Amino acid sequence: MSEKKPTIVRFSHVSMQFPGVLANDDVSLEVQKGEVFALVGENGAGKSTLMNLLYGLQKPTLGDIYIKEKKTAARHDPLRAMALGVGMVHQHFKLVPSFTVAQNIALGMEPKRRGVWYDQRRVRGEVLALSERFGLPVNPDDPVGELSVGLQQRVEILKALHRGADVLILDEPTAVLTPQETEELFDVLRTIVRDQGMTVILITHKLGEVMALSDRVGVMRRGKLLGIVQTADTSERELAAMMVGRDVIFDELRQGEPGTTEVLAVRGLCALDDRGLPAVRGVDITLHAGEIVGVCGVEGNGQTELTECIMGMRPQTGGSVTLNGKDVTNLTPGDIRAMGVSWIPDDRLRTGLSAKATVTENLLVGRQREPAFSALGIHYRKGNARRYGERLAEAFDIRSGGLEVPAGSLSGGNMQKAILAREFSFDSPVLVISQPTRGVDIGAIEFIHEKILEKRNAGCAILLVSADLDELFRLSDRLVTLYEGRITGRFPTDDITRQEIGYYMTGGRQKGADEA
Amino acid sequence: MKTGFMQSIRALIALKPRQKLTVQYLLSLLIAVLLAFLVGAGIMLLCGYDPIACYAAMFKGALGKPRAFGNTLAKTVTLCLTGLAMSLAAKAGIFNVGGEGQLYLGGLAAAVVGARLNGSPVWIVTAGALLAAIAAGGAYAWLPGVLKVKLKVNEVVTTILLNSAAIYFCSFMANGPLKTAERGIASGTDAITQTAWFTPLIRLSNLTTGVFYAAAITLLVWYVMTRSTVGFEMKMTGTNERFARYGGIRADRLALWGMVFSGAICGVVGFLEVFGLHHRFLTTISSEFYFDGMLVAMIMRYQPFGVILMSFFFAILNIGGSAMELSAGISSEVMLIVQSVIIFFMAAEGGISDIVRRNAAARRVRRNARRAQKEARV
Repeated sequence: MSEKKPTIVRFSHVSMQFPGVLANDDVSLEVQKGEVFALVGENGAGKSTLMNLLYGLQKPTLGDIYIKEKKTAARHDPLRAMALGVGMVHQHFKLVPSFTVAQNIALGMEPKRRGVWYDQRRVRGEVLALSERFGLPVNPDDPVGELSVGLQQRVEILKALHRGADVLILDEPTAVLTPQETEELFDVLRTIVRDQGMTVILITHKLGEVMALSDRVGVMRRGKLLGIVQTADTSERELAAMMVGRDVIFDELRQGEPGTTEVLAVRGLCALDDRGLPAVRGVDITLHAGEIVGVCGVEGNGQTELTECIMGMRPQTGGSVTLNGKDVTNLTPGDIRAMGVSWIPDDRLRTGLSAKATVTENLLVGRQREPAFSALGIHYRKGNARRYGERLAEAFDIRSGGLEVPAGSLSGGNMQKAILAREFSFDSPVLVISQPTRGVDIGAIEFIHEKILEKRNAGCAILLVSADLDELFRLSDRLVTLYEGRITGRFPTDDITRQEIGYYMTGGRQKGADEA
Repeated sequence: MKTGFMQSIRALIALKPRQKLTVQYLLSLLIAVLLAFLVGAGIMLLCGYDPIACYAAMFKGALGKPRAFGNTLAKTVTLCLTGLAMSLAAKAGIFNVGGEGQLYLGGLAAAVVGARLNGSPVWIVTAGALLAAIAAGGAYAWLPGVLKVKLKVNEVVTTILLNSAAIYFCSFMANGPLKTAERGIASGTDAITQTAWFTPLIRLSNLTTGVFYAAAITLLVWYVMTRSTVGFEMKMTGTNERFARYGGIRADRLALWGMVFSGAICGVVGFLEVFGLHHRFLTTISSEFYFDGMLVAMIMRYQPFGVILMSFFFAILNIGGSAMELSAGISSEVMLIVQSVIIFFMAAEGGISDIVRRNAAARRVRRNARRAQKEARV
């Protein structure tokens, strides 16, 4: 594995400056042909930026990028990168749901019959040939919207291959996959690297995946490339320490038995999604003081709608929510907050923050009418707000270019810490937490988990929704699985394995799971 | 300056509202102004005019004499109030394109109530007319506001449509049921009593004591938008409505009130025109004043202080433009082209500031890299 292979992608002293942040700082890096190169680092370390530069989505402030010894930076344009054989599979797929697999793969470079007509038969043929050659079975006629997430990702990969990519960039590819789908993806990647001589660049912060798949690892921290190591010569622990700059230890932190006082009771809750289709179909969940109930499920099975209903952001079409014996069904978010429920929503930029408002303002929302920040309910006391923001930012280690910068300029991890700081500051007895560590680096994950467990040990009732099974298993006292808007299983965390959970997440049904 | 309705709508779509008014921004704005004047000069040269003489005539015409200066200030007041009305609503995340109609209705209400109260003490006439204008403008903005908040009807569409309804309604009233019996008035209502007219502050100019009303409103709007708790909540709503709701802010209520106050300010503009200038309602009370104000607001990214400054600049262009036409003999078409070009460059400022910022960033990185190299050698 260590014999010298030809270089296929080369970064030469690349720097990228964003307003207030140096996202890449003098990065020089070579990727060799036919290897799986993993790029790891905390969120905000500059991995995604570096790959966006390679793919031509942005132009580096300084430095040059070469693909097969041809310079790209002169023309920062994805078409140029594609022409040179670089394909990218984004974390959020860029597919048209109503188009078929074949149409999606052809989109943008449709073969023409007599220069005018879209040549459907030829596309089908090409897709089938490609899918056979790379061992990625798909049905070219299925509408993409009806495929599972794993299959959609496969379509994205095929799309890149169809454009003649021999360097494939995968940005957090497993974030949306079930354990089984992840295994499948890795098999596919191993095969195309081994048999087809493809080069794969993998952006991730799941170190287990790095160890399982990659040949070499580059570790980034705060925009700098700290070093490149052979995967065989390192360990998960060593990588984690490199990424964060110190030792990271994930301990068993749950202390004491969960309480038995019922705090929040969800009964028979039903709700529609944004398209008006049933998304939650009769969910029962009971939350006790001092316990964490984890909701497992492949994304899009009603988790978002469930939490939105509890918080009053989405009208319920049936069922009830009771908080400390009081009916809170369909109250406004403000009322529900006032009764002692805080919420960390799954979509930071859409719901959790105002990207254009300053960090201070974001930290203050919900308290702006308190006398400390509002004289006579009229005058906004800016100075107090600033001091309050500074205090929270310090307590939660929010790193930013000052608290008066727009919240949107923070890295994902710091945005998440800001939301956490605000929501935890209310000392609410009930917390609804969705995807607390999505897109967040290892150092911050450790910190966020500690904070959540602190709350649990202090007697909060916590509903935790996550797509990350490791997280759910680490934090939860009990687990429930959600599939197509229904609860398919309920388990004490210690009585079940990940593989078993996967079965219930994909439609398996436990006897009597529907009743609380 | 006929910046025009469609142009304003296009500008509304093209301009992204941004939040900060920084030194860097003002700098790039200055560059934009200089570029604009240069290109304007080019056009004048092409058309065979002497740009230096023309610009001199423009500034002299706008600022040269007390009377001219008074007119410029009066124009500033109108632009500033309409601009702030737009900004206030936009800050709460709702677009009031219907200010023109609200202005007409406010003017009509002020004139009618003022004329009815003729004979009462002056302060009653003034107060009655002012309240009527506020009520008319506010109510006419409330309608699209409620439609937006309750039924999610796009407020840009409804306010545009309501403009025509209001303007033609006022025109009908001033030509029909409310037409004055006085001779020599083409289409207007009865005059208000002369004792209630605002007194000119500068002789023969349009600048009257009405400017104090404008100053009070400006101060109030500036305070609400930048220093108050409500302004804070408006900012949250305007920048991310969903986030505001999530944080417990009644975003729909704020948007509705933003709209109503915006309409009320427009109504007051109508009141000021009536009491300061025409002393009755005339169908020519406004020539798209609100759309000019909207443009000012959007160019200055809804920042109250910026709106005040830019209103003054626009007023110079406007008043000076007519003077340029008279004294430098430039044809009004060329004058309008030059004005449009200047405004165009103001709006295109965003691109210029991006270039400025990017260059500054690149310089900083290069400097740091050099310093690091030097340190490494030492």
